[in-house]
Amino acid sequence: MRLIGLGLALLLLQQLLASVLPYAFRPDLLLVFALALGFRARAIESLLIAFAFGYGLDELSGAPIGLYALLRATACLVTHVTDRGLNLRGPWPWVVYVAVYVVVDTLLLGQVLRLAQPDLLLPWSEVAIRLPGSVILTAAVAAPLYRLFKRLDGDEEVPGLAPTALSGSGTL
Amino acid sequence: MSELVTRFRYALCYLVLLAVSVVSMTSEREPIGTGPASALVLGVATPLQRLVTRPIDFVRWVWRDYLALVDVRSENLELRVIIARLQNENLSYREALVASERFQRLADFRARHDAPMVPANVVAQDLSPWFRSVVIDRGAEAGIEAGMPVINEHGVVGRVVGVTGSASKVLLVVDMQSRIDAFVQRSRARGIVRGQSSRECAFDYVMRNDDVRPGDLLLTSGLDAIFPKGLVVGTVETMEREPYGLFQRAQIQPVVDFRDLEEVFVILERREAPAAPGFEAAQAPVTLADAGDTP
Repeated sequence: MRLIGLGLALLLLQQLLASVLPYAFRPDLLLVFALALGFRARAIESLLIAFAFGYGLDELSGAPIGLYALLRATACLVTHVTDRGLNLRGPWPWVVYVAVYVVVDTLLLGQVLRLAQPDLLLPWSEVAIRLPGSVILTAAVAAPLYRLFKRLDGDEEVPGLAPTALSGSGTL
Repeated sequence: MSELVTRFRYALCYLVLLAVSVVSMTSEREPIGTGPASALVLGVATPLQRLVTRPIDFVRWVWRDYLALVDVRSENLELRVIIARLQNENLSYREALVASERFQRLADFRARHDAPMVPANVVAQDLSPWFRSVVIDRGAEAGIEAGMPVINEHGVVGRVVGVTGSASKVLLVVDMQSRIDAFVQRSRARGIVRGQSSRECAFDYVMRNDDVRPGDLLLTSGLDAIFPKGLVVGTVETMEREPYGLFQRAQIQPVVDFRDLEEVFVILERREAPAAPGFEAAQAPVTLADAGDTP
């Protein structure tokens, strides 16, 4: 329940940021939320939460209904799967992972749009301008958001890999 | 079997969600949600969004109406000069219009298309950086329906794509899902204005031999069954012509500044699909565009 509250708070915070920040400098808070959900032991529940918040995003944006629902559920799934092979829970691995996933998410968005509605093309020149700012800001908020996420979530996490010297020291 | 399902339940759950997403993205004729679920989410979220954006509006108001007025005296003087010049220009235009036969046709058009409008305030911006929509604070209670055109004092803003009792979602002209049938005021060359989710739009499917130049004004043609004929869409910025192909393409600068969109008007008129071209030509309403070079 507290996670739902966190998700709603992030949705409103993203709304607030959308009002004050230019398009090129907006962190994707709900993407970080969806990625963090992938660590939880209650995997199916997390997948459904990610899907539901994606649907909310679809409704509150001009996106075709189902687009962000699919992308956020996919983000949760990817973390769930990737976490078994890589240690993502150290501060730096997590930040790098989020940064990389923002790019992956945008590429996925373009591909899904192209497949679902072939007449809609993501303006890649515009993407190239906006993406760096979005990557940097989303990565910057990733670590504190995950700490907050863990504090609020009482659920036991799926055991990930032990942190290594290469992947960063300690967990978030 | 049940063991298999239990083992792969996570993957199965994802596949089900994937199917639901794909079906909702591809099966809807209108890509934006207009169903009861959409109305519910929008209805719940809009008051919260309004609550969040109100402090921002207050800060903007304080800045705009107090702090940013430092240079207002000199600016006021400049504006008085401009107003005087514009008043003179306006007077001459009025006289020219009164003297011309076109004025009568313009008046006829206005009488026939003087659709009622509802003013509305923008209360929320699009949450996604890749789509361009806004939420306005008027909805079905004010007579607004999905598909109605939205304008402001400069020109076309977009169209309503989702409505609740007290709020509506407006897809902006610059969104990549937006398409408007438009023509060049000067040469009457027709094409489709397509949003690009950036500050500019593209003017596509313009016949290669059509006369389109930078600076040309684009108006709605009325053939898309959404926007009435003669509303200003934007101006041609640049032309792109490949060495081959049937069409040429232009980059359009919309007349509306979407960064500072605060107040809009919804035209309370749902338009029917236009008649066959021959009939349309005979019955074409006279527009502002026909009245002269200046809209």
